[in-house]
Amino acid sequence: MTMSREYKVGLFIGVTAFIVVIALLYLAISKGVLERIHTFTLSSKSGEGFTEGMPVVFSGFNIGNVHSLELNDEGVVLIHIKVPDRHVKWVRADSSFVLYRPLIGSARIMVNTENLKSPPLNPRKIPEVLTVNDINDAIAKIEPVLDRVTEIAENIQIITRNLSDPKGDFHRVLGNAEKITSNFASKKSLVEMAVSDQESVKALNESLKKLKDITANIDRVLVKIDKMADKTDREIYGENGALPQINMILKDLVIKLKKLDKTVDNINSISTDASEGMKDLHILRSDIDDAVKSIDHVAKKLDGLIGTKKNPEFRVP
Amino acid sequence: MKTFWERLGHAAIRMLEDSADTIVFAGRVFVRIFQRKTYSSAMREVLVNQIYFTSVQILPVFIIVSVFFGSLLIGIVFTILKDLGLTEFIGHVLMGLIVTELSPFLTVLLITLRSASAINTEMAVMKVNREMKTLETFRIDIIDYLLAPRVLNGIISIVLLSSLFSIVLLISGILFAKLIFGMNQDVYMNMLLDSTRFSDIIIMFFKCAIYGFFITLIPIRFGLRASHELTSIPVAVSRGMVNVFAAILIIEVLSLLTKLY
Repeated sequence: MTMSREYKVGLFIGVTAFIVVIALLYLAISKGVLERIHTFTLSSKSGEGFTEGMPVVFSGFNIGNVHSLELNDEGVVLIHIKVPDRHVKWVRADSSFVLYRPLIGSARIMVNTENLKSPPLNPRKIPEVLTVNDINDAIAKIEPVLDRVTEIAENIQIITRNLSDPKGDFHRVLGNAEKITSNFASKKSLVEMAVSDQESVKALNESLKKLKDITANIDRVLVKIDKMADKTDREIYGENGALPQINMILKDLVIKLKKLDKTVDNINSISTDASEGMKDLHILRSDIDDAVKSIDHVAKKLDGLIGTKKNPEFRVP
Repeated sequence: MKTFWERLGHAAIRMLEDSADTIVFAGRVFVRIFQRKTYSSAMREVLVNQIYFTSVQILPVFIIVSVFFGSLLIGIVFTILKDLGLTEFIGHVLMGLIVTELSPFLTVLLITLRSASAINTEMAVMKVNREMKTLETFRIDIIDYLLAPRVLNGIISIVLLSSLFSIVLLISGILFAKLIFGMNQDVYMNMLLDSTRFSDIIIMFFKCAIYGFFITLIPIRFGLRASHELTSIPVAVSRGMVNVFAAILIIEVLSLLTKLY
């Protein structure tokens, strides 16, 4: 089917206009243009930061905007806000209103409602708007930092001034460095540069030569001492030195002492035995004493018997 | 021999006279648009043809260009916003910059390049061929028959095509918001709605209408200034096009000024 030019133009205008109208209608409905609007009045001691059309936000969502600003007879700023019917439920009697002025982005009035079951805000009631100012807070925080930065900048300025000053320390140091380098370049030695006197350099050189001779002598003495020490070392620590022999004697002595230990132990045991034997001797002596007494007694009895009888014969048991 | 100051003064006077003539001419055409008798059957036919050549013929190419260019533009803008951590300003940037400023501007550039230059040439050729004289001889009103339908076509075409461009951009924005920010369609729409103001849309339509009016009127005006020589055609066309672009810039600046106040 071939469409006529008129038809195509009509279709284009109709469809495009329809799309535009639908888009505008959607926008109007979404923005609550056809909705009932509730107006509330807020107050503030200052109108600073408030603008007409400023958004009214609840939990990050736009629920209305500032319709107009007014200064009443008492010098208080009245802020009239408009909230569509579908959002009016967020604005309650105990709602608080805060003007939030972020560092980046536009200012807004934030509605905070603790209890959503509280009665709706009476349009005649005029709550006060508190202010939270990110910019001033940030400035207050930045101020000390800026002071420090200013100090640093001033110090840098002083340093650069000193650096650029021809009579300043830096230039003096540079001048000295230049002198040192030129001295390095012109003088024969570091010593000459340091003392700046030829005679002193000669004297110093002679002293150094003498010092060299002294050190050579000391070296020789040290070599001798070293040799002597080596010899002494050999005599003391060598194979036939004193120390190994003392060692051997000591070892021998230890062996002999061990043997002596055994002898002493034996003597000890002998003396102990002898002591115990002495105890037995006492008993033996008393026994012998008793036996002698008995024999004496028996002899006396025998004597008595023999003396009285004719026949001096008797039988022993 | 004229001094420098004389030459400068002469040029300034001539420019002022030209501007005044153009404004008077624009006023006459503007008044005619709102007169009922202007809309004769012949004028309506010319109007339909003009809209067909300016908008319907270009429509497939225009939609393709707006999809590609719009997607690219939205992609770049969204990526920059993401890098700067300004995701919450997507709506403001989309509505304040892309929809109300860039869409009409790009649309008017496309239409100027295609149709305004054609109108300018057509008028100059008609003047060279003495067709204007013939129309006057037959007592056909040039403004009604030639000028009003073209100017009206400019207004209708720019308003509709610019709106179409904006809608295509906003739709491609849904896709890019999802791809770049992982943003839900509802969130995107909410951000867009929050940052949309009816006043901005009205200014946009008004600006598009002014664009449409001047990008057709100025080429007609300069086309009609051609002499009866063929060599005057390119001169008239080039002067007309330069003035059209100057007018576009002036209108853009004025629209930005209206946003400031």
